[in-house]
Formats: sequence, C-alpha cells, structure tokens
Amino acid sequence: MSNDAHSAVVRVEGLRKHYGDLEALRGITFEIQAGEVFGLLGPNGAGKTTTIEILEGLRRPDGGMVTVCGMDPGREPTALKERIGAQLQATVLPDKIRVEEALALYASFYLQSASLEMLLERFGLAEKRRAFFEKLSGGQKQRLALALAMVNNPELVLLDEPTVGLDAQLRRDIYALIERFREERRTTLLTTHYIEEAERLCDRVAILDHGQVIALGTPRELVLRSGHGTRLEVSLAQPVAPDRLKQLDAVVDCREVDGKYFLHAQPTAVAVAALVRFLEAEGNALLDLHIAPPTLEDVFVEMTGRRMEN
Amino acid sequence: MMPSIRIALMSIKLVMRTKVALFFTFFFPLIFLFVYAGIFAHGNPEEVVYMFGPVVTLNIMSSGFFGLGLQSVMQRERGSLRRYRLAPIGPGSMVFSSLLANYLLELPTIALLVFCAMVFFHMPLKINPLTLLVLVTVGTFAFAGFGLTIASVANTMQEAQVYNNVVWFALLFLSGVTVPLPMLPDWIQRFAAFLPATYLVSSFQAIMMKGQSLFEHKAEMLVLLISGTFGLLFAWKLFRWEKEEKISPRAKLVSLTFIVPFLVMGAWMNEYGNLKATWKETYSLMSHAPLAEGQHAAPADSVLLNGFENPEESEKLLKTWQVSTDVNAPGRSLGELEVISPGATGTGHALRFKGHVEVAPGSDRGNVIVRYPFTLPTGAPSWRGIQFEVRGDSRLFQVKITPADPALPAPTLTFIPDSQWQSVRLPAAWLATPNPGKSTLVLEFRADGPPGNFQLDIDEIRFY
Repeated sequence: MSNDAHSAVVRVEGLRKHYGDLEALRGITFEIQAGEVFGLLGPNGAGKTTTIEILEGLRRPDGGMVTVCGMDPGREPTALKERIGAQLQATVLPDKIRVEEALALYASFYLQSASLEMLLERFGLAEKRRAFFEKLSGGQKQRLALALAMVNNPELVLLDEPTVGLDAQLRRDIYALIERFREERRTTLLTTHYIEEAERLCDRVAILDHGQVIALGTPRELVLRSGHGTRLEVSLAQPVAPDRLKQLDAVVDCREVDGKYFLHAQPTAVAVAALVRFLEAEGNALLDLHIAPPTLEDVFVEMTGRRMEN
Repeated sequence: MMPSIRIALMSIKLVMRTKVALFFTFFFPLIFLFVYAGIFAHGNPEEVVYMFGPVVTLNIMSSGFFGLGLQSVMQRERGSLRRYRLAPIGPGSMVFSSLLANYLLELPTIALLVFCAMVFFHMPLKINPLTLLVLVTVGTFAFAGFGLTIASVANTMQEAQVYNNVVWFALLFLSGVTVPLPMLPDWIQRFAAFLPATYLVSSFQAIMMKGQSLFEHKAEMLVLLISGTFGLLFAWKLFRWEKEEKISPRAKLVSLTFIVPFLVMGAWMNEYGNLKATWKETYSLMSHAPLAEGQHAAPADSVLLNGFENPEESEKLLKTWQVSTDVNAPGRSLGELEVISPGATGTGHALRFKGHVEVAPGSDRGNVIVRYPFTLPTGAPSWRGIQFEVRGDSRLFQVKITPADPALPAPTLTFIPDSQWQSVRLPAAWLATPNPGKSTLVLEFRADGPPGNFQLDIDEIRFY
C-alpha cells in the first residue's frame, strides 16, 4: 500500500457487504494510486464484482469507508459518474441500436466527452459504426463496452471481467487496449479470475477469497512471497489420478489439463525425486517435465489450498 | 431534461426499427378501429363517432399497460437499464423518457386512427383537434401512470403480467371500452364510475356525440391528471435498475394510494353524477338521427310505410307482422303484438311489441323477434333509410332491414328507447339505388339481452 495516501484515487477501508446471510465482503482494505492498473483477482464469488459495484455507486456498502476520486460514491453518485468510466461484466444494449448511436447517446449524458471518431478508431469499431448491437460478435460487443466506458474521458476506469467468455485472440486484443490505459497513466481497476490477465496487465493485485483480501502487492512480490515454490508441468505415458500425484512428497497441489499434469511443488527437488520414484514403482514413464516459476495461481493455491477455478 | 429527451428519441428510433414494435404501435390499433367501426358500428358514420372514443381509449390503455409498463419491466429483467445506471442520470430521467417516448408514439397513432375513421368510415370529426389533443394527452398521461405504477411494484415479468391482466380486463369490459355502459347491469354501471377508462370514454363520447365542451369534463380530466401524477411519482420513487432489487410488500401497499382519486371520483359520481342517464342519453344519440325539437312530423319528402291508423284492419296487420321467439337460442321467451291508442304525437294508433325474454336452464341467451316483410313502393326517389317513432322501457332493442339481394348489407342499429316517443333513423344506402330489388324486404325488431319483460311501441314507419 502506498504511503502517499493523498495520491490515492481509490481508497477502500474495512469494506463490508452482506446479501442476506451471505457475507460477500468481510472488511477489505486497499488503495489504488493515480495512474496505476490495479487488479482484483479471485475465483467466482470472491467479492470482486460487489467491490467494483460499490466503487461505481451501484451498491451501498454495509460498513467501512470508500472514497473514489475524493468522493463518496453513495453520497455523490452523479458527480462521481462524471469522472469515472465503467464496463459491466455483461453490457446489454438494445438490439437495434447502432454502434455510433450508442456512443453518441452515452456521450451526451456527460458534461464533457471524448471524440467519438477517436473512440471508434481506437477500439477497432470504425468499420462497424453502422452495425446494430445484435449483429456484433462477442469481441466487438466487449470492445464497444470498453469504448462506452471511455466516452467521458474518465480519470478512473473500472472494468469488471473485461475478457470473460472471449477466446485467446480476442483476449489479447482487449489486453492491448487496456495496456494503452497504462501508457496514458489512466488509473484502472479491473477484476479478473484469469491469472495471465492479472500478471500481464496489473501493476498491483489484490487477491480476494471469500470476501477477504488474502494477498496484496505487485504480481512479482506475491510470487516471491509464496515461498519459492515451483510449477511442474508433467506429461506421462499412462494416465494417473491427479489425487495420487498430490500425495507425493513436497507436492502441494496437482491438476490435470488436457492430459498434462500441473504440480505445485515445494521444495522442487524433493517433489521431482518423489515423482520419479512413484513412476518407477507404477511402471509408468515420464515423457516430458517442465519446471516453471510459480504464478499467482500458485500463490492462491498455497494460501487457500484450492485452485482458483474452484 | 436533455438526457430524457435523447433517450426518448432513441426509444422511438428503436421502435421504428423493430417490426413487431412497429406493428403493435401503429397497425394493431387500426385492427381495433376496423372491428369497432366495421362490425360494432355497422359502418354507420353516426355509430362510428360513438365508437371512436372507445377505440382511442383502448389504444391509449394498451400503450400505457403494454407499451410502457411491461416494456419497463422487460428492460429491467433483460439488464439493459444497468448500463444507463453507470451514467450520470437518475430514475427521474428514465421515467420521464419512457413517458415522453410513449406520448410521442401515441400522437401519430391517433392521427392515423382519425384519418382511417374519416376516410374508410366517413366519420365526421365532431371534435375540435385541440380538444382531441388534450384528451389524448391527459389520457396518455393517466394510463402511463397506471402502467408505470404496475411496472414499479411488480418484481418480475410474470407478476407484472398478472397485475396488468387483472386491471386491463376490468377496464376493458367494465368501463364502456368494449360494451357500451348503458347495456351493462346497474351494479356494473355503478362500478364503472370508479374506473379511469370510463372517464376517458364517456368524455370522448359526450364531446363527440353531444357537442359538449372539454370544460364540462374538467372533473374527469382533473382526476386523470391527479392519478397520472401519482403514478409517475410512484414510478420515480420505486424505480429499480436491476431485477435483483425487490420491492417490499409495504411499498406495494403504499402504491395502492394510486387509486384514491378514482375512489373519490367514483363515490362522488355515484352520489351526484346522474351517470346512468348521461351515458344512456349519449348512447341513444348514436342510434337516433337527431331531429329538431317539435319536428316529429314526417319530413316533406318521406313516404309512409306503416302508420297503424286502421284499427279495423288490425287482425290482418297482426298477421303480416310475424313474431318469432328464441331464434338460434335455446330460450323459453314469449312475444305478442297489439294495436294501441293513441300513437305517437299526432297519430291515433301504434303497434305494441311486448313479451318476456326467458332463457333455458344452462343458457344465457333468449330473444323475441318481430319481422315485417314489405315490398318497396314503386317510383322510389333517393331514399336514404327508414325512420320510425319508438318508445319503450329502457331495454336494449335492435332494428334491422334485410334487402332482397343477399349481396347487399343489412343495416342494423341498437337503441334504448325510454318512455317518451323518439325518432330513430336506420340508414340504408342501397335504398337510393334504382330498383334495389322488387322482392320483399324485411324490417325486423329484436328484443334480447338479460331475461325479463319488454315493451316497445312502434309508429310512423317511413322511408326518408
């Protein structure tokens, strides 16, 4: 957390929110500095969307303190909305509205707005400017949602799962757009459950689980803090139950993806030795072994004992 | 204000681009017009004038309930309001934009209805365009309030449809929109005084049929305006952007105060309003070509068909007029004829058609019909129809003239005669054509409706 509290664009302290009996946020605290790309990383249900919607003024917190651009979102929603741009997890527009009409309509709600031509060019929508919303592909709809978040040239951009449901190529397109925000020194908060996204885009990350911040820092800091564990990517001649590999010495976690086994290990040497012994005893063969540095997911596994998609 | 206008204009643009919305906004109301004017009003311009108010009211109601109310719930359920919520606009802008879009779409629809009624049914526009605009504006405002109130208290689409249907059908059948109020039982007429659609329909009909001014209906307009304002306030205060936001039962109860103006107005109207007589008078004007006072004498160019002035021939006459009971209806009704004296003003005798409509167990229908076959007098000039004098017991009767040629239409008219002699005209355009058929024509009077005794005195049947 920054020592310079005055440069914080977003300040969240002890934020709490309940939905009936469910405690969605259990007193989370973080700050986002001006020009920073900040990520809220966590599995579904961790409280990411609730947090971002409280910052946007869409939900009222049950406790704690929130300041966005120096304002309380609950008390000054209209003034705040002039200064922030937000993209919802799912943006629904009327089927028959054209791209350029949607941008012009939303831009007209603000006291000052960005150039629509610039937005169309920048978000790759110039050729689709006359297209109806219903005719846009998933990636185009998401780019339009991002462009709508930028119509008022905001100081702070809040993006809720901007790449969810998109294929790898479309995700990379969106990453490029968000990287432009960093180049412009535009403060950005994004929520995601994609490790790659957080590692690639975010200056700092808060990992959320069950409504609590369980880790906060730069991706590199978090990985280093995780105890120097490693990721072993293993290909075997014969399939084996991941649970059996998980029981090997020094293996913290194991999962199988497309016939490959991903082991989170610490210490690495002990785990490799145990793996080799196990395969010999089973009459199985090691086809490929790749030792990789840990990721934020490994950090999450280490701290929660669960994988993020669970 | 500006965001509301922009959203409203965009909504209109979106309606224009959506075939289904376009159909229900502009063409569906025309179907109602053609049904009401073509079938209910038999294409008779005088009756079309009477039916025009109900058609416009029906259209205003449907746009308020379905175009506005259900659309608001649908937008909320679909999630399209969330994106607006991120912009610096509030619930007031959203509610006002819905209201404005609904109103701006209503105006061309009404213009289209007026155009079609005048062109296809020769309806004389017996209303000042400015008065029509005020009525449409006030009505649209009131029913927008209704639709938006329902939208704001309903938590789901299903719930909104249930509320809509309950209110919609009550207004549709009990407020003169589909069935003329004088045809309904007394207790329903009393209940109708509590319904907002009644005020709009009866104001339209009184202005168009009786030539009354809008000022004479200021109380009705005021009630509609007050309820519309209540509705908009509820819609604003209870506005929800997201389907997850639910409204409390307490807020639903509070929103019921929306109906307070109608309760007050209904109670007042039932006590002091002389409603039944007013509605009946308007209704009777539809079937009676109004004659100048004291003009009961036959028009100079008319030809008497039957005056019942030879009582010694009454036996023969009673054979000519044929009474049938319960035609196509399993009733146990009775009917008879007699010649009475005196007749209508200035005449010695008249025909009395009386009896009892009684339905069979398990049926709700019965009727008594008297038919008078006659041959068209030769040398017919350009007659426009048949005129006769009637008085009765305030029941509903129907008169029909069936031409010899089945290809020609058989004009039909319903009327409610009271105890005073009144002139009724039944237009039959084909009488003006040379020799519309030398064969026998049939003039028919029918009593049906609810079970009970009836009595209709008929005199001075003439071609006019």
